[in-house]
Amino acid sequence: MSREAIDFARSFMPALAAAAEVARSSGALAGRRVGVALTLEPKTACLVEALADVGAEVAVLGNAWSTKPTVVDALRDAGRFVTRDADELIDRDVELLADDGAVVTRRLHDQRRDRLPHLRGVAEETTSGVRPLRNMAAAGQLAVPVVAVNDARTKLLFDNVYGTGQSVVMAVLDATNMQMAGARVVVVGYGKVGRGIAAMARAVGGRVTVAEVDPVAALAAHHDGLEVAPLADAVVDADFVLTATGIGHTVTAEHLARLPDGAIVAVGGMGRPEVDLSDVELGEEVRPHVRAARAAGGPTVFVVADGRCANTTAGEGNPIEVMDLSLALQLRALDHLARYPLPPGVHLLPPEIDAEVAAAQLRFAGIAIDAPTDAQRTWASSW
Amino acid sequence: MSSRIADPSLAAEGHRRIDWARRRSPVLDGYVRERLGTTLLRGVRVAVVVHLEAKTAFLATVLADAGAHVVAAGSNPWTTRDDVAAALAERGVEVHSSRRSTMEVWEEDLAAVAGTDPEYVIDDGAELTVRMARDHPERFARLRGVSEETTTGVARLRALGDLGRLPFPAIAANDAACKHLFDNRYGTGQSTIQAVLQLTNLRLPGKRLAIVGYGWVGRGIAAYAHALGARVVAVETDPIRGLEALTDGHDVADLRTALAGADLVITATGGLRAIGPEHVAHLRAGTILANAGHHDLEIDVPAIREASRAVSEPRPGVARFELGSDRPVYVLSDGALVNIAGGLGHPVEIMDLSFAVQAMGLHTLVSRDLAPGVHDLPPEVDRAIAAAKLASRGVHLDPPTPEHADTLTGLLELDTLRRES
Repeated sequence: MSREAIDFARSFMPALAAAAEVARSSGALAGRRVGVALTLEPKTACLVEALADVGAEVAVLGNAWSTKPTVVDALRDAGRFVTRDADELIDRDVELLADDGAVVTRRLHDQRRDRLPHLRGVAEETTSGVRPLRNMAAAGQLAVPVVAVNDARTKLLFDNVYGTGQSVVMAVLDATNMQMAGARVVVVGYGKVGRGIAAMARAVGGRVTVAEVDPVAALAAHHDGLEVAPLADAVVDADFVLTATGIGHTVTAEHLARLPDGAIVAVGGMGRPEVDLSDVELGEEVRPHVRAARAAGGPTVFVVADGRCANTTAGEGNPIEVMDLSLALQLRALDHLARYPLPPGVHLLPPEIDAEVAAAQLRFAGIAIDAPTDAQRTWASSW
Repeated sequence: MSSRIADPSLAAEGHRRIDWARRRSPVLDGYVRERLGTTLLRGVRVAVVVHLEAKTAFLATVLADAGAHVVAAGSNPWTTRDDVAAALAERGVEVHSSRRSTMEVWEEDLAAVAGTDPEYVIDDGAELTVRMARDHPERFARLRGVSEETTTGVARLRALGDLGRLPFPAIAANDAACKHLFDNRYGTGQSTIQAVLQLTNLRLPGKRLAIVGYGWVGRGIAAYAHALGARVVAVETDPIRGLEALTDGHDVADLRTALAGADLVITATGGLRAIGPEHVAHLRAGTILANAGHHDLEIDVPAIREASRAVSEPRPGVARFELGSDRPVYVLSDGALVNIAGGLGHPVEIMDLSFAVQAMGLHTLVSRDLAPGVHDLPPEVDRAIAAAKLASRGVHLDPPTPEHADTLTGLLELDTLRRES
């Protein structure tokens, strides 16, 4: 089934196909050793195959919990190197890397400096990865150029908002068989992901309260017509708590103790550290991906996917068309890094590449847009 | 007689599932238990013939706890959960059901249920009632009442009544506000969208959805899809419903026009062959088709198969039909009810309402002396169920006061009118 599942995904990925055409004509990736360290499932398999098609020598890292075994088999059948061990990927002397959460990049800098000289560039997929990489750059510790794919408009506005929004809400409903209409939903963090989750939760009838630490984001939630409250207050009558901060220790045992009996807690941000389960008594799995949990003095609540990202662990991750955009950007970023020598540091993808990726999907949907006229261009560039 | 289930060793998982349903069913677990008490149903033989999964099993448990002798079977040969059936049997309910049984085995299961001589039936699609009328006339004549879950089943019971062959009272549970306003609209709305997205891993925002049929189910699906960012075009044959869809902010078009622009087509007419052979040529490459209506043939899958060069299954529950060179269309769950066949069915909270209506339908049949024929659930019972649900959410309403009523006496008192105008 997996080969066909990969083909099914590809048939909804026109932007990746267009990006592959660009990479093919540039030829810059031919013969390059490229590492792909993204959640491994049919969509990312399409990126792996596109890279192989344009001549790259691809090595793939899949993590233990969100990797689909049938996809691993399909890629191995096609002759790709697939491992679950980051060191085995690093041992391949990868030159270019598509990283997720900067996991491999950090490992190369911290524990595997012996192989760091081979690395020529990194394309980073997530907010959670760009943050530590910027910290490393600011500290003068980043040895390679990084393209922050995550920060491209075609990524941030779609993957993080619509993709994660839809997939987290649906994964939680699929895992619990619960209704969201009329339920109290607390969204923790109102960045792009939190915004998407809040919008989707409201669309399916949830009554959403946002908890934030940033006044600007909180004010935005207020303008979007949502309740805003401190987390400790908001959890008191919550049916669902969905976190999207990307920050460890966002939800603690004290919060869990204040929840009503039976509340559902799920992570839509970076995964495990967001909900601190260290002081929490974990019970049995009452349904697949749903485990009972009890903080001292608190009620029984239920944690989805053991606090890992609900959408990738209890579901299939972001929708195909959304990953079409993100993975097309990844491919263009790798091609860009292979073509142009950039200094160490975190770089944005050139805006015209961003625009080309978005245009490919519009074209596929049969949607035409206007081009600015010469008069408009002149006006826009005047002072 | 003993149960016929697939595997008693699956009971542990079944208990967990039923306990999950109980936890999310405050109306059944509270208000309904209270109203049933411990004497009304003592020793009463009740058959429960509804899709046999955790939520239904919890209903059966509540009835058994109230003293009824409950016998359960599935209303469909495909939808029973074996773990739930095993757990229900372990809880002392006689169960005749297994998943993916053949039509013959399913018929035998229903015959076994009929053989226990039930006095009352909680039915779905009137599947047991109709079979008893046909195959067990003497047992049918001894039936004291039926409470029916679905639009289709209510129509069947009314048809029996019209033929003069309904010698007992029946409650149209489907027609209660606490059933169709929530189950048919929100329940099917949420769970259909969920199943389509789960089966395909596709994105809803930006999709063009053609909803075929704008009854309660179609309205619910359209509302959820619109809220989640899809552009909806509704297809109707009834001008009032068409106008309603337009006023709800959707596009309305004839079927061929709608199909020509659709990425996703969902049928919800409750009839047959809404998408027939004559429409196949109008489907766009890559269109996803799914059915949310009662009949498996609402999308004429055999006709699509007939028109195809090749058929494959790229993902579980997704059939790919190659209509021409690189012109595939996809049908979900073979055209069966996608939210049940390809998903988890309705959310628990919705079934808490629907089954509270069913249980109170049974309560009404047992406690009141109703004439033969199809009856509505008494409106005060309907309202009491809604009030119990609201109370479980911590919501309490003001009672209506006599001063608010615009009564005939008030209208005829000139002074009152003058003061108000």
